[in-house]
Amino acid sequence: MIRPEEIKMSAEETGKWGMVINQDICTGCQACVAACAMENNVTFVGEEDSGYGRSMHWIRIERFWEGEYPEVKMTPNQPMLCQQCGSAPCEPVCPAFATVHSTAESLNLQVYNRCVGTRYCANNCPYQVRSFNWRDYERPEPLPNQFNPDVTVRRRGVMEKCTFCIQRIHKAQDKAKSEGREVADGEFTTACAQACPANAIVFGRVDNPQSLVSQLAHKGHGVKHLEELGTLPNVTYFKGG
Amino acid sequence: MIKSFFNWLKQPLGLIAVGIVFLALFSAAAYGLYTTQQAPDQPIQFPHKTHVAFGIQCLYCHPGASKGPAAGIPSQAKCWACHNQIVKTRDSALLAPLKDAVLNGESLEWVPVAIVPDFVQFNHRAHVAAGKNCEECHGDMTQQLVAQNPQVMNMGWCLNCHIENAGEDQAKLIKLTDCGTCHY
Repeated sequence: MIRPEEIKMSAEETGKWGMVINQDICTGCQACVAACAMENNVTFVGEEDSGYGRSMHWIRIERFWEGEYPEVKMTPNQPMLCQQCGSAPCEPVCPAFATVHSTAESLNLQVYNRCVGTRYCANNCPYQVRSFNWRDYERPEPLPNQFNPDVTVRRRGVMEKCTFCIQRIHKAQDKAKSEGREVADGEFTTACAQACPANAIVFGRVDNPQSLVSQLAHKGHGVKHLEELGTLPNVTYFKGG
Repeated sequence: MIKSFFNWLKQPLGLIAVGIVFLALFSAAAYGLYTTQQAPDQPIQFPHKTHVAFGIQCLYCHPGASKGPAAGIPSQAKCWACHNQIVKTRDSALLAPLKDAVLNGESLEWVPVAIVPDFVQFNHRAHVAAGKNCEECHGDMTQQLVAQNPQVMNMGWCLNCHIENAGEDQAKLIKLTDCGTCHY
């Protein structure tokens, strides 16, 4: 239960929603990738467009090579998604104000009906987590039946990215409000965190010190990727702990 | 060739032709716009006026409005439960599509009237909980026959009410004018 007096740091300093990803227990099973695509109506681009590097994922599992060829060491699996930066490089470059910062939820929003498809935001994103709808990709029957009605189906020429499952945030807030209470910690979670069989992904309020996600995030050996760029990311990674 | 065509357009006859073409295009555009603002055809000419006059509450047929995002349209079983018991309506020709649908187990395909685009996530519950009455957005149903949309439901219309509703409360204003409140 989040009470206002427990929230010491303001939302501007810490963000509001955050995530902790433990790379040591991530097995790279791609369940989060599949769950995200199902939840958020992320399309399948097919073999040809994928070959052009146009595959669309809101979360992906990254692995890197370390060392020279015969002695190659694989790094741990690294789920990479929109870091919901507090100071996001994607936002100031949009000429149409289609990617804006949500003051209410401290998230980076992508407003699809404003987007004109310049792709500047994706080029300016240091995490390379934005994907662009290069076509209206075909969804043969009965695939349209599994659309999530709470999420817009994007059309051609529109940029999209992880929203931290804002539809679930709104649903939980709406339910809590109808019952006259605040949203409890762990009451809901994102699709990727829900699907993760190893519980490597934890989602919650980072501005509430009592929540599981902020207790994990303040353990000490967490890393925020490319923090030196001043992006103030809201996703903390653990590795080698 | 092209030059002689433009010279012909400068004559009085040519100017009249230009005027006729302009008027035709303008009226076609105006008609196109007009058709988008018309209530769609419904499978049954459902008179809201009559039903409201019998004292039936909005929420009896649209119970979703107080519970969730969609207000919902009643199933034909709900319609038929009442109409089946009234001799006048049971055999009425106007209600034949309803009777056929019930007997054949088919669905009546009502056409939504008050709609928002796919990129807008609207929730009835929040608006009802905020004290909005149905008629503030959907018009006075005691006077309507086939459902019509009383106003253009665009973002300016939504935002006007949101800003007005927030009043002096800054936190509420931020929440109610946030892009992510409706678009995701």
